[in-house]
Amino acid sequence: MNDIKDLDTKIKRLSTKEVESDTKPNSSMGIAMRLSSEMVAAVFVASLIGYYLDKWLKTGPFLLIFFFFLGAVTGILNVVRTSKMINKD
Amino acid sequence: MATNPMLQFEVHSIGPKIQIGNFDISFTNASLFMVLTVALISIFFILATQKKSLIPNKIQLIAEMIYEFVSKMISDTAGKDARPYFPFILSLFLFVLVSNMIGMVPYSFTVTSHIIVTFVMAFFVFIGVTVIGFMTHGISYLKLFVPSGVPTVLLPLIVVIEIISYLSRPISLSVRLFANMMAGHTMLKVFGGFVVSLGILGGWLPLGFAIALTGLEILVAFLQAYVFAILTCIYLNDALHLHH
Repeated sequence: MNDIKDLDTKIKRLSTKEVESDTKPNSSMGIAMRLSSEMVAAVFVASLIGYYLDKWLKTGPFLLIFFFFLGAVTGILNVVRTSKMINKD
Repeated sequence: MATNPMLQFEVHSIGPKIQIGNFDISFTNASLFMVLTVALISIFFILATQKKSLIPNKIQLIAEMIYEFVSKMISDTAGKDARPYFPFILSLFLFVLVSNMIGMVPYSFTVTSHIIVTFVMAFFVFIGVTVIGFMTHGISYLKLFVPSGVPTVLLPLIVVIEIISYLSRPISLSVRLFANMMAGHTMLKVFGGFVVSLGILGGWLPLGFAIALTGLEILVAFLQAYVFAILTCIYLNDALHLHH
């Protein structure tokens, strides 16, 4: 009887305990790739938006330049956010 | 003998040329390897789940490990609300992983080294996540673009920045996978070319590099599949739980 109770507590303990994951592949190269692609993508998307807005509104290169810098800002923001997230886990 | 390192990425049609309107939809080597990937995954899971014994045999054990790995990843990053999307994320993860791994076999073709393939996947993730966000939160999902505690003067700028940040997600997701795979495979091919051109005397150093790179590439293949899946989970989490 005691054995069964022991087993029960053991099972309960095991099932509530989070299984420690050691398979989280967070290599530094993965992190570097993640951050750099985040940066590049934001600049690319923002420049694209600026380019097409320019084409649409016929405002010369000004919106493209503005959105390029806005994209750089966004990229840095994304990098900060991503690295915060990586640091958290 | 030293061939062009970019030649391995060339898409050419095999079999008859099929054309509908302006679209060339002939069966290419890329389609062949996609079919191969899906077939391999299907066969593996059909074999693994055939017996369904309480004490699993080896193949069932591997299938269960994959299942648990992805299941844990989803519950860790997106919570239990993301449960219904498990099949999608599992398929996505397996497709990327298996096509990356098939690409590691010499003379094969890496499907994920083409940006259109990765972009389509990332774009569907993006559309799906946006639809899920609007379905769960209605119009208030747009609050995602308005962070709290921002001075009103800066708000228009911040909203534009947030929108750019949101739109850049599929690009960064697809470019990362594509760039990793293409860079790795080009590098392998370049070092392979060095081995041939330097011959028996000088070829040993690049050969060593190529061997080391192969190991690294297998790691990258797994890592990128993992990153692709986990970022999908993170985006799903953002869509399911608004926290701004």
